[in-house]
Amino acid sequence: MTTILDGAIDLDVGAVERRADAVLAEPLYWFPVRHHSPAVARHLAAALRARRPKLVFIEGPAHASALVPHIVDAKTRPPVAIYCSYRDDDNVLGLAGIASSAPDVPAKFGSWYPLLPYSPEYVAMKVAKEIGAEVVFIDLPPHGQLRPHVADAVAEGEHDGRDTAPSSWEDLAVESAFYKGLAAAAGYRSWAECWDALFEVGGRHATVDEFRRDMAYFCAAVRATTTDRRMQDDGTIVREQHMWRTIQETLAARKRTAADALVVCGGFHLFMARELAPPIALPAGTTYVTVAPYSYFRTSELSGYGAGNRAPKYYELLFEYLAIDAQDAPVRAMIDHTVLVLTRGRRAGEQLSAADAISISQHARMLATLRGRQAPTLDDIRDAILSCCCKGRPDEEGRYLLTAMAEAEIGTAIGRVTPALGRLPLVFDFYRSIDELDLGETMGKSKKTKLSLDLRDVQQERRSVFFHRLAELGNSFATLAPATDSTTMFREQWKVEWAPKVEAQLIEANLYGDTLEAAATAKIDEELAKDEHDAASVCARLLRATSMDLPGLVLRIETTAGQAIDSDTRLVSLASALTSLVVLGRQAARKKIREDVVADLQQRCFARACFAIPEIANVPAEEHEDVITALKTIAEALLGDRDAGFDRDLFVANVRSAYAASTSPYLRGAMCGLLTETRAQPPEMLAAEVVKFAQSRPEVMLTCGEFLDGAIATSRTAIMLGAQALVEALDVLVRAASLESFLTMLPRTRKAFERLHDRSRVAFADRVAELYGLKEGEGDKLAKLDTSASAAMWMARIDARVADVMKEWDF
Amino acid sequence: MAKPTTRPDVPEQELLREPAEVKYRRELEALRQNEKDQPPAAWLLSPRAVLTYIVGAKKPLKATFDGKAVEIPITRKFFGDDSIVERAIVTLASERALLLVGDPGTGKSWLSEHLAAAISGTSLLTIQGTAGTTEEQIKYSWNVARIIAEGPKPENMIQSPCMIAMRAGKIFRFEEITRCVGDVQDALVSICSDKTIAVPELPDANMVFARPGFNIIATANARDQGVNELSAALKRRFNYIHIPVVGDQKTEVEIVRTRSAELLERYKIPGRIEEPVLKLLATVFREMREGTTSDGISVAKPTTTLSTAEAIGVALDAAIHSRYFGTGDVGPADIARNLIGSIVKEDLGDLKVLKEYMNLVAKKRAASDASWKTFYDAAVVALDA
Repeated sequence: MTTILDGAIDLDVGAVERRADAVLAEPLYWFPVRHHSPAVARHLAAALRARRPKLVFIEGPAHASALVPHIVDAKTRPPVAIYCSYRDDDNVLGLAGIASSAPDVPAKFGSWYPLLPYSPEYVAMKVAKEIGAEVVFIDLPPHGQLRPHVADAVAEGEHDGRDTAPSSWEDLAVESAFYKGLAAAAGYRSWAECWDALFEVGGRHATVDEFRRDMAYFCAAVRATTTDRRMQDDGTIVREQHMWRTIQETLAARKRTAADALVVCGGFHLFMARELAPPIALPAGTTYVTVAPYSYFRTSELSGYGAGNRAPKYYELLFEYLAIDAQDAPVRAMIDHTVLVLTRGRRAGEQLSAADAISISQHARMLATLRGRQAPTLDDIRDAILSCCCKGRPDEEGRYLLTAMAEAEIGTAIGRVTPALGRLPLVFDFYRSIDELDLGETMGKSKKTKLSLDLRDVQQERRSVFFHRLAELGNSFATLAPATDSTTMFREQWKVEWAPKVEAQLIEANLYGDTLEAAATAKIDEELAKDEHDAASVCARLLRATSMDLPGLVLRIETTAGQAIDSDTRLVSLASALTSLVVLGRQAARKKIREDVVADLQQRCFARACFAIPEIANVPAEEHEDVITALKTIAEALLGDRDAGFDRDLFVANVRSAYAASTSPYLRGAMCGLLTETRAQPPEMLAAEVVKFAQSRPEVMLTCGEFLDGAIATSRTAIMLGAQALVEALDVLVRAASLESFLTMLPRTRKAFERLHDRSRVAFADRVAELYGLKEGEGDKLAKLDTSASAAMWMARIDARVADVMKEWDF
Repeated sequence: MAKPTTRPDVPEQELLREPAEVKYRRELEALRQNEKDQPPAAWLLSPRAVLTYIVGAKKPLKATFDGKAVEIPITRKFFGDDSIVERAIVTLASERALLLVGDPGTGKSWLSEHLAAAISGTSLLTIQGTAGTTEEQIKYSWNVARIIAEGPKPENMIQSPCMIAMRAGKIFRFEEITRCVGDVQDALVSICSDKTIAVPELPDANMVFARPGFNIIATANARDQGVNELSAALKRRFNYIHIPVVGDQKTEVEIVRTRSAELLERYKIPGRIEEPVLKLLATVFREMREGTTSDGISVAKPTTTLSTAEAIGVALDAAIHSRYFGTGDVGPADIARNLIGSIVKEDLGDLKVLKEYMNLVAKKRAASDASWKTFYDAAVVALDA
């Protein structure tokens, strides 16, 4: 019988039913699941207790079966996750440089398999322990699903080397013609809504058999409308071959029959081929597999993937009530959830009352009825909350409500793993360091602890090294506070906070190495490979490597830094590199780095930067600020560290060259300021340049403000020495300018003087006051920049006249 | 003097615009005949049938009219997210009133009219809110001459549409509620909560009670928010449903096609607007509304709300223009000529915005697309005029 669903798909319903019935009748008991489904978990637990199988096969990574006792340990509390990682040390897959930053950096992959308290797989493991059944994971390990690189392959993008969620049949379901037709006919807006309406709420399935049968029919229809090609591309076929082989081999090894076992797998896989394919060879390399604490928040981030869950806390409520009264569970979960949302909303300042809760409950039930559901789903509840409580646009007036909804749906649960589980080497190294550095106190605190470290103290310097290494690995345990007035070369401020994610991050970073030192070194090496010709990046890493006490790496980077400096021709990059090298130079003695090597790098970098100056004479306006910052950096290095022996003449010659070539008044001003600051020219020369503007054509005169802005940007000290001459030059300029020209120049000129410190501005104003016949010290009136010189002069005259008149008064 | 005659092709009883319950009476009747659920008290149709009436049915319904079996297609009236309609229907079946809020031209009044027509069989119990709306217009007033002659009696009362709706258990529509001042809006508080109107002038009949089925659909323009915002007491009694501007091109083209066809029929304009022209119109509106073109170019947004209703207006104006001053075929040039008035209203700065769009976007497309070239050329002439 062929049924056309919504005019979109052809589906032989009879064949689908026959196929599903055949699987359901097999001696091997197949139980179809969806990840994180409370309804599946409930029915599965009942099926396990009723059948009491000797063997329970679960669709989990096969090489993680040994972890099952730890997962079901009384001291393990979900949410937890199985973490599998793989490093292709010998590039057997040919993905180095494709899935990693460079051909000499091994490709690394990681996968998380979250387990929530109501995940069917977790519940199956718990019940298996209860009934004394052995649990065997049957899925192909994630690194077995990686495909070797083939030149010109289209799917290179799949190998991006990032952590991924394991592939799930739900992704195929969403793409299937059956689901699409069903969603169009029933008006489902998402796969999650479809699932909830059909299987999660409503209590349509009174018995395990009914539930299992309907799910099998549904999944058979999904599979019937999914192409073989899609299943090949997705890796489903190869995974299923591995699952089937593992099942058969395990049954044979344990001398069990099919009737002794129960298979817990995605509903889609019930229909896998029952043929033994050749075993799948796993690629050689380094693999780790462990269990780590997980959180509802991370699970929700994966929403949309099979491994994710859009509302972990809401489904937890549903699961708890399903155990009490399956029929009433959706309504009771809805009420609890609504109260949670309203409580959070009220905390955020929303006016939400108990009457709203009643309306939401009524609205959600009516929506469910209108949509043909027996009980409200999460989608109905969401719509009801928005209808009853959001007084306007959801993304504007309803933004706090939306936040409250999200928080209530996700929850804050964080899992715990039994201490009996051995730690990965990097995690072990972390905790060893915590003990050695006497940081155990920070582990028990839920809030951030501030630590001020004096690097002259050996123990505190070791702590600093430890924190820097963690930070390099992207770990959130320790955060370096931004530099403040109290920060010195010998003092660092850190904020330290332990959270479960710290361990998860360490587990992920284990791919870089087994110790923090090795991992941090590998991480920097990987980054260096990305931009080894960028002097700024390389020198910044050299500095960081020093902070991390990685002497071997420092030696290597010194070589790389030299090459980067020699090949980089960009002024901004070289100036940044010089800053890093100057800081490094100050630390060299304390860090036991060869000072002569650093000094040599500094010299080379300074010289390269000087030679790069003429190249920036006419850069586009959007690069001006970066260029000026770079020029100031080089000048500061030159003036600040006279012992370094930087070649002042080289700097001056190149600045002069750029000054002559530049057509930008702003850059010319900046370079003129630099020449003044480095005493390469007397301050009066700057004033003379201003006078030249006064004598120029009006369109040139208008640019004097920009020139002054550039000059004051690079010269602070020297410019004050020539203040008198500059004021006189400006007076000449103002007198020469028409009112319109003056008004045009005014904003930029004001901006230029606002760069000066208050005291410097008053000093300038005093010079103006003197020029206009006022007393010294009356300049502060002018320094406010809203009083004109003539107004100040009149105010002074009036003050004097009033004083004279008052002398004649008799008090 | 010759006596003026009515044009023979326009029947005297014909209305320029029929209310929804008249225009779609056969659809409503077909839905009633096919009703499977029990409608709520005083509703003509069940919520599911109301939903079908608004969002349309995939297959025609079999019904009997004048003893003849016929098939009646149920057309889609509201385009967009169906869950908006579901939420609106459920609200009207609850004790809370419904406030449809959104930008101008997003179909609030259109949806309100159809909901009232499907639920109560009339969409005419309506008040148009203005700054001059009074409490009497919401509740009741008196026939002054008869009051002077006979004193206050029930028969001397002039009932408001709201009071009529209450007594009949029907839907009362309050258009643009936020145009009314707060004191007037608050007249609705007791109507929403107690479902009554007090009439102190009639000691023996001093209370009018609402019958089951009564509820209120109000509309409010999102651009008016903050002008006469509803009091907290009134807000609590309304469920707000925000109607967004149509986001995707396909739906917008569908709306413009359907609604402009209806309007062309009403104005007796033969022909129709071809798909490429509709697509061009919807593209211009969507890109200017969002400030980004499909090829990623950023363009300035006009201050005017470029709603789908405005696009329909442009399509209709273009068709009328073409019918009487052109060839009768609506082309891109007709769209261009009628676009300016829709986009450039009180703010002349929008003229600059439109010119920028033409120069940055339309001109570039005109180089490779004949429709866009015609559109661009006509727009340049119109903008220079």
